[in-house]
Amino acid sequence: MSTEGNKTSIEFRNLVKKYKDVTAVNGLSAQIETGKITGFVGPNGAGKSTALRCLLGLAENTSGEALIDGAPYASLSSPLTKVGAVLDSSGFNQALTAHQNLAVICAAAGISTNRIDELLALVELSHARNKRTKGFSLGMKQRLSLAVALLGDPEILVLDEPANGLDPIGIAWLRDFLRALANQGKTILVSSHQLAEMQHTVDDVIIINHGTLVATGPISEVTGGQSLEEAFLRLIGAGA
Amino acid sequence: MNLLKSELLKLIYQRRTWGLLVAAVLLGIVATVASLPAIERLGGNQLLALNTADGVDAIYAKALGGYIFALIIGVTIMSSEFHQHTAIATFLATPKRIRVVSTKVIVAAIAGGLMNVISAGAGLIGGKLALSTMKVAQPHSYIFVNYVLAALVIGVVMGIMGVAVGTLIRNQMAAVTSSLIWFMLIDRLLAAFWPEGGKYLPSGLITAMMNLHLNIQDKAIGFGLNTADYLDPIPAAGLMLVYGLVFTVIAVFTTLRRDID
Repeated sequence: MSTEGNKTSIEFRNLVKKYKDVTAVNGLSAQIETGKITGFVGPNGAGKSTALRCLLGLAENTSGEALIDGAPYASLSSPLTKVGAVLDSSGFNQALTAHQNLAVICAAAGISTNRIDELLALVELSHARNKRTKGFSLGMKQRLSLAVALLGDPEILVLDEPANGLDPIGIAWLRDFLRALANQGKTILVSSHQLAEMQHTVDDVIIINHGTLVATGPISEVTGGQSLEEAFLRLIGAGA
Repeated sequence: MNLLKSELLKLIYQRRTWGLLVAAVLLGIVATVASLPAIERLGGNQLLALNTADGVDAIYAKALGGYIFALIIGVTIMSSEFHQHTAIATFLATPKRIRVVSTKVIVAAIAGGLMNVISAGAGLIGGKLALSTMKVAQPHSYIFVNYVLAALVIGVVMGIMGVAVGTLIRNQMAAVTSSLIWFMLIDRLLAAFWPEGGKYLPSGLITAMMNLHLNIQDKAIGFGLNTADYLDPIPAAGLMLVYGLVFTVIAVFTTLRRDID
């Protein structure tokens, strides 16, 4: 599974996910290397979010495997200290404050609440610590989601469209934020359809279309001198 | 223990929990006190009178009417996870779903039991105060302990049933509404019109657990309540707990099979 100098943190092995007659993910195989930012790109409905949900044990694979350090997510003994995830920016109890939402997750994961204030400061939400999340903007929810993902100081981050709802300043902040995390040795798998932004952020890229792998590798190899958007359109056969 | 603490925190942090408790207490008191004129009217028909212990027992029995709030708290413990999209965070923190659902069942049982005991206690005290101003018979000596224990069992089972309903019907409003329609209307109508089967349904079992001795017939509308054929309190409590067990199994299997979104 893991090889010296090229360690793999996440692996999809011929992953298939079907919903009745619809095949959302169709035999996806790919590896995400440790310590890198890997972009997971594809058109809407390509199966990115479904693959990530399978990876995190939220959706059951029809066949194949999605593994984290060689094991299914559900078998991790302390999952939030291994993997942090941002999957749904609206996933907060709106009747609870930002601090209370994080405290509930800390309690479930057995994590000290001491990190909460530090993380709220890191995502620039200290001012909203005691505000109910009902009044949060989408951008604030995205930042709070990132705080949740970092609660357990995980080695791996799985982020599904983390730039959604962020303004240009927020997107620039996210880029620097992710790069700083990668420099700490964290492995980051980030899905997005903002290709121009991804080009400036990721080391490797996985492109899927209709649930099937189209291309994977270092971004320079996959794009072959083109922009990511041009390469993406060429690879999925949608170019002009 | 971590998960239990997390689920209890969710409950404690929410204003809705405290609102439901206040509503349950008010219902327990109002139902008990407001039943006095109704029982007096029935006494006028020589069917039930406050100069009998059974009649006074029936007044105190109204204190247990807040159980519907134990059901609602159980429903919201589960359905709010889907309503607020917090299920993802919950199952990411604890991917073993059986642990999550089992803990929610335990928390719902604790919250439902406590809420119903507090509500029933308030209703019994309210009834005692209201009856102290009137010239009525003494109730049977066992009813206060009996009713508090019954309130505990009913609250526990209703909380558990609520979690099961919340797993089956993920839309929170639909889950609460359908629960209310079943327990406040259909279940009671079945108990009234189909007493042979209705006595085994939750409303019939709740009445049986109160150990009431009633035979009320409303000639105008053609049905009434005769508790002579109802189960004894302990078998009724046992059957209620079986309902709770069955609904727990339903909740667990429903959650294990579904994708979380």
